[in-house]
Amino acid sequence: MMQTSRLFLDFIPVLVWALLAVALVIIMLLASWVLRPHVLQNSEKTSSYECGEEPVGPARISYPYNYFVYSVLFVVIDVMGAFLWLLSSSNLLWSNATKYEVVWQVIVFIFIVMGGVGFVLKMIPRSFLDGKETVDIYRRAKAEREQKQYPAGGH
Amino acid sequence: MVPLSWYLVLAFMLIGLGGYGMMVKRNLIRILIGAEIMGNGVMIALVAIALYSPVFSFTGQGLIILVISVAAAHTALAMVLMLMYNRRYGSVDLGKPVEMEGQ
Amino acid sequence: MQGFDPALFEQLEFLLIAGIVLVLAYLALEHKEIVYAAFFFGFMASFVAGFFLLLEAPFIAGMQIAVYTGGISTLIIFASLLLPRAQDSTLETFATPRARQISLVVAVVVTVMTGFLAVIFPWAESFSEAFVSISQDLNGLAHWLWFENGIYVQMIALIMITALVGAITLLRMDKAEQLSSITGVFGVEAEPKTTEEATINDDEHAADDSTGVDE
Repeated sequence: MMQTSRLFLDFIPVLVWALLAVALVIIMLLASWVLRPHVLQNSEKTSSYECGEEPVGPARISYPYNYFVYSVLFVVIDVMGAFLWLLSSSNLLWSNATKYEVVWQVIVFIFIVMGGVGFVLKMIPRSFLDGKETVDIYRRAKAEREQKQYPAGGH
Repeated sequence: MVPLSWYLVLAFMLIGLGGYGMMVKRNLIRILIGAEIMGNGVMIALVAIALYSPVFSFTGQGLIILVISVAAAHTALAMVLMLMYNRRYGSVDLGKPVEMEGQ
Repeated sequence: MQGFDPALFEQLEFLLIAGIVLVLAYLALEHKEIVYAAFFFGFMASFVAGFFLLLEAPFIAGMQIAVYTGGISTLIIFASLLLPRAQDSTLETFATPRARQISLVVAVVVTVMTGFLAVIFPWAESFSEAFVSISQDLNGLAHWLWFENGIYVQMIALIMITALVGAITLLRMDKAEQLSSITGVFGVEAEPKTTEEATINDDEHAADDSTGVDE
């Protein structure tokens, strides 16, 4: 077996660090459990802390998904960065044997991906960005709710 | 070194888990997570076989780079399709169109 | 390092990471809350990078963490935050028990066939570990990808463009209708009530209740 230096041997400090991190979390949780006074737990004590306000409704609301396209853009840029990372960790662009062929491929690659990103940024409707429609919908929903409550209130 | 069969058994277990998640779950996000787990198992098997093969080549690792990139693209598109599905049917239930058709 | 067997240590590390990965994959599939399932999937993807380190593929490990843990699990978490109905537990029940049984049978068949390929097929005889040649040469990998097979890189760029254009085109379709999710089941709570309105409404409700009791 050609046993050159194995890669995972370099990562033993990372493993030790990870085990220390897990042990630290467990020790801190145990220590706080030992040290804290065990008083009666009720719904007032366990409710989430909001300054002076009583929490109303569930926290899982439906966020408007205007901004989802930005996470798609992030993933595309991420993959492009990984490809360029591989290129930057090599000497392809230094050595005379390869640099004249590879540099055109890099230019075309970045041009295609950035063209797609620019197209998407151009195509995003303006209402995705300024949030006017969102505010309109909120106001309409609020007005509807108030209209529903007036008959119930007996006015 | 760890024998090749260990990696293959691990990949087999991941693929089985992902297939179970894809077939038995009905939440579309859960089905996508199952598909990604299957993809991870396949990548482990491919890298292991590429390392243990007698003739050394970079084809295995290069293919894995392409597989990860395509996985990112198809996940992005699947998530957008899921948002469209939720808008159309009001849920991410896989059997929702069949139910609505039956009514 | 004297008194230290790298082979034994490698086997121990393999078993440790394999156990963690299998437990995290099971949790990602079976946890009740979809957001926690997405987080468990992200953890699982970053532990799979440990296998790539064991398999002498450092760049694949880095790319796994950058793209899977950084990008794909972000997409899943983001989308499961945008779809609160995805938490609905009724999504997990089948219409009939028979459909669930058929799905289970298909899953078992797929697993058995994969198991045949992985365990019974004579991979181990074909690939002897005596001839493993280890190369952590990023230069060779970059040469393979960018110089010899540069057309693959351009194909990946085109696939990325396809995903982007598909995403923006789908999101542009009936964007007015997509805002209706704000007025959905949980949506109206998104607007924070101002204190005056809240007190007025509460007073009205209180008055209403009291009159109801009096009558």
